[in-house]
Amino acid sequence: MRTLPLLTLLILSGFSVGALAANQIVNQKGRVFSMPNVTIKKGDSLTFLNDDNVPHNILSTSAGNEFNLGSQLPGTATDVTFKASGDVQVLCAIHPRMKMLVNVTD
Amino acid sequence: MPHPGTGKSFLVAATITLTGFGILSFAKISVGAALVGETRKIDLQQQTTTGIAALKALYRRPTTIPFPKHNLYTPEKAALGKKLYFDTRLSVTSAQSCASCHSPSFGWGDGLPVGVGHGMAKLGRRSPSIVNAAWGEIFMWDGRLATLEEQALGPIQAAGEMNMPLDQLMLRLASIPEYKPQFDAAFPKDGMTPKTLAAAIATYERTVVSEHAPFDAWIEGNEKALPEEAKRGFELFNGKALCSSCHEGWNFTNDSFHDIGLPSKDIGRVEFMPGVVKMKHAFKTPGLREISRRGPYMHNGSLPTLESVIEHYDQGGVERPSRSDLMRPLALTAREKADLVAFLMTLSSNLSPTVVPALPR
Repeated sequence: MRTLPLLTLLILSGFSVGALAANQIVNQKGRVFSMPNVTIKKGDSLTFLNDDNVPHNILSTSAGNEFNLGSQLPGTATDVTFKASGDVQVLCAIHPRMKMLVNVTD
Repeated sequence: MPHPGTGKSFLVAATITLTGFGILSFAKISVGAALVGETRKIDLQQQTTTGIAALKALYRRPTTIPFPKHNLYTPEKAALGKKLYFDTRLSVTSAQSCASCHSPSFGWGDGLPVGVGHGMAKLGRRSPSIVNAAWGEIFMWDGRLATLEEQALGPIQAAGEMNMPLDQLMLRLASIPEYKPQFDAAFPKDGMTPKTLAAAIATYERTVVSEHAPFDAWIEGNEKALPEEAKRGFELFNGKALCSSCHEGWNFTNDSFHDIGLPSKDIGRVEFMPGVVKMKHAFKTPGLREISRRGPYMHNGSLPTLESVIEHYDQGGVERPSRSDLMRPLALTAREKADLVAFLMTLSSNLSPTVVPALPR
């Protein structure tokens, strides 16, 4: 019985690009990113957790690391793996006061 | 999206489902973009309920006006900016000033459903109030301008609005002898330029701050400042009616963009955020100070009264992919709607008269 959840976990982690590794979590409570700046290595992921009470729409248009999480409801989390080195400006399309910079290093 | 479950079959099904979604979501990511994993549910700890005292503290007025480092306040700048703001010679026809559409007589808007521009032609959207613009994060209904300085030059040059090319405007201002010494006093290094023109107007606009309203007196401890129905309205505003999700804090906006389901072909914010579904028909949340003086309402002036605004939110608006996930039928009772309106009425102050300046000749 115990092997099945473990198997589930392993398969999920394999397909969610390191989701269950020690990703740094970016919280969004109070319509603020919990970290205004973060440095990660190329190929590493951040977990964007909406622990706020309103939806957010996190995205970036920075070249090589474009992404758009769409409407992310409270109580959900999504991993983003950054593929290119450089500065990545991350925004919430809904809340323009929410901005953070991800420095992706080689 | 996994659902709660305990059985073996659920786990297998969840695994298959999630891996399937994972593959799909990777497949749609183009080369050169970040990889997005599957969104999953997270159990958040129960949110603690906010007491009325803590809630009221969120609405306390600031004591100073924020001026940006690149354009700090000076009395000379603000005085010059006020003259420019009220000067009709900033439009090509010499018939319109900033104050034509953002008038102190109408809560710093124009009281019309949509603005009126060059040649008395109607514009597409309502003239927004400039009250408390100093606290703005981003400007215009669609957020296309980043600073108040940029905003100040936008309508002056817009063909449909004041229609005045900047080089022509600078020549016209130079031909008015009394302007130059005032620019020199306000900007000793730079004198009269388009940049200093914008800096002066923006500085004046930042001094336009909503005055002390009955709501502020209540926030500061005077329980008699609000009628009971308005106090009930405040609780609804922060609770069942969901208003404070966007109309947040002392200025009643967090500058967020939402499609609130108004029937309109205007695509709004998505013009500047192509491909972001939730930005279609999305407009910036306006503040609510002096709101009873600012009708008709919404970005297109389509709702004539505060009662009709509350009715719109109660019904939830047009259901479409872009509509904010916060918009849904609220099932407000007639008394609750009346309480919300009573609360909104307490956000208007006894505005002091605005003295219109004598203009340079």
